[in-house]
Amino acid sequence: MIRVNILLALATVASAMYLVGVQYESRRLFTELEKAHREARRLGTELERLQVEKRSQATPARVERVAHEKLQMRQVTPGITLYMNLGDAMPAKP
Amino acid sequence: MSRSIQYTASPLLTSRTPVWRSKFVVGAVALGFVGLGARAAYIQVFNNDFFQRQGEVRFNRTLELPANRGRILDRNGLILASSVPAPSIWAIPEDVSLDDAERATLAKLLGIAPVELAKKLADEDKSFVWLKRQIDPETAKKIAELKFKGIYQRTEYRRQYPEGEAAAHVVGFTDVEDKGQEGVELLFNSTLLGRPGTRHVIKDRLGRAVEQVGETVAPIAGQDVQLSIDTKVQFFAYQKLRDAVLANRAQAGSIVVLDAHTGEVLALANYPSYNPEKRVNLSGAQLRNRALTDTFEPGSVMKPFTIGLALETGRVKTSTVIDTSPGSVTITGATIRDSHPHGALTVEQVIQVSSNVGTTKIAMQMPAGEMWDTFSGAGFGQKPQIEFPGAVSGRLRPAKSWRPIEQATASYGYGLSASLFQMVRSYTVFSHDGQIIRATLLKNSEPAVGVPVFSADTAAKVRKMLQMAAGPGGTGPKAQTVGYSVGGKSGTAYKQVGKGYGSEGNRKYRSWFVGMAPIDQPRIIVGVMLDEPTAGKYFGGEVAAPVFSETVQQTLRVMGVQPDIAIAPQIVANAVQESF
Repeated sequence: MIRVNILLALATVASAMYLVGVQYESRRLFTELEKAHREARRLGTELERLQVEKRSQATPARVERVAHEKLQMRQVTPGITLYMNLGDAMPAKP
Repeated sequence: MSRSIQYTASPLLTSRTPVWRSKFVVGAVALGFVGLGARAAYIQVFNNDFFQRQGEVRFNRTLELPANRGRILDRNGLILASSVPAPSIWAIPEDVSLDDAERATLAKLLGIAPVELAKKLADEDKSFVWLKRQIDPETAKKIAELKFKGIYQRTEYRRQYPEGEAAAHVVGFTDVEDKGQEGVELLFNSTLLGRPGTRHVIKDRLGRAVEQVGETVAPIAGQDVQLSIDTKVQFFAYQKLRDAVLANRAQAGSIVVLDAHTGEVLALANYPSYNPEKRVNLSGAQLRNRALTDTFEPGSVMKPFTIGLALETGRVKTSTVIDTSPGSVTITGATIRDSHPHGALTVEQVIQVSSNVGTTKIAMQMPAGEMWDTFSGAGFGQKPQIEFPGAVSGRLRPAKSWRPIEQATASYGYGLSASLFQMVRSYTVFSHDGQIIRATLLKNSEPAVGVPVFSADTAAKVRKMLQMAAGPGGTGPKAQTVGYSVGGKSGTAYKQVGKGYGSEGNRKYRSWFVGMAPIDQPRIIVGVMLDEPTAGKYFGGEVAAPVFSETVQQTLRVMGVQPDIAIAPQIVANAVQESF
């Protein structure tokens, strides 16, 4: 009887230790998860920031300035555009 | 002494202790236990809530989950406004202990004067003070690296507007608390706003969240708003307007581009404008969304409606001849004049040369009530159906109160007022087969359902007249553009100076042009207005029409509309002087 009791006491202690360990591990993992979530949010906002940045580098105002000043391009007008009619250009069916 | 307790059998150790002493000890210990039990019951049962709460306060934390404000996009999904993180720097003045050099570094990084920084940190009673809100992330990083005691950061969000001043009046801006203040930011504030969420966690000694407790309320992100604006059209409309305002040394200007099929606003710009991200020293003149808030007498722009009504009711035909000589007509004592006599004109030519006399003679054949119905049907004097902050309804007095001279002046656009936006929208009557359509700022690819004002036939006839007005012999030939047929009406008005309209050489003008292209099947309607051009030219056909011409050309090109007329330089420069 005493042996059984001792065994049970040991088992209880072991299980308690294990519980403490698991609790610790779960909290550690939760912290990790938390960190990962924060990182995800940070990356999300960073993406947003970069998208806005990209957009402001490609505004019509800037494109026009660069095209005009750096690349010496000029405005398109119908006068210098050749319009192709796709319907006519297609080969007629035999 | 017989009553005593014997602790031992040994006579040597026999002590004579009175019995009451041991009883006293037993009693005292028992009382101690009762006390403990009562305390335990008090904590566990009667006042349990209080202690439970106190415990939670020490490790439970409620975290706010921020919700992003929605973006504002253009019709092609390009960003017009978006929130980006911007750290704000705050301090607990009591905890700050910086020497002069450190203070100088901090002030320099924050971009504020050291005196100002000192003032902010002077009040030691405060436990919280913003040093600077919404700075750029790089600067914030540098400040964080300095690790000054008592200086903290908090992530806030700042709106960025890549299109800058070109779209400022449409998009608007938010204040530092992320609340819409102007334009679409204000109009759609509730849609754009998200709802922040919350979660409860247990934090450990080091401030790390170690466990989640209770329910989490997920944040609801604000919805994106997609506008009908096309950034490209918006940009060059703004650019051409700005160039024209500067070249004509005008006070201000507005431009509106409307899709004639769907009623979508493709561009709406005003000059002077402002950069929504740097709003220091903003003046009212810059903020004003003139296209929607400024009303003026539409002048000649109204003539097509008067003529349209006469055609619709069969009172005249396009070829009916109206005698406008001697260039003036007298209605109940008041004389209406043309800029110079035109002689006999067909109804078409009345519009082409913009004859006040001809229009008056046609209008006087019609009851005032019918004219009022047509004008209000075209949106004049009506509540602006586009809900924009500050949009106005203009003024159109009830027909009952019109005296004959007022009916005559109303027929050519005086005695009533409208905003440029209203005028542009009213021209959907001619572009959309006689039906007026709703204008919208939101993307909507469905063809609009219109409310009939005229028949499709009348609309087509008036379009032809508008084309003549913008052609050789008309008042606005400078509205013509390479490759596309255009039609439209110009207007010029004296502005009030003091009590009158100013004397010769001291007059102030307002000039505008409203038209559409391509004329047979209009795709767009464009309205341009310049306020007080002072560089010599001031007729709408001379200062506003060229802006119209360039804007039409670029817009149709961007929309992929094929030229509908043979491409050869067709610009005719001999304008007939228009009437006021």
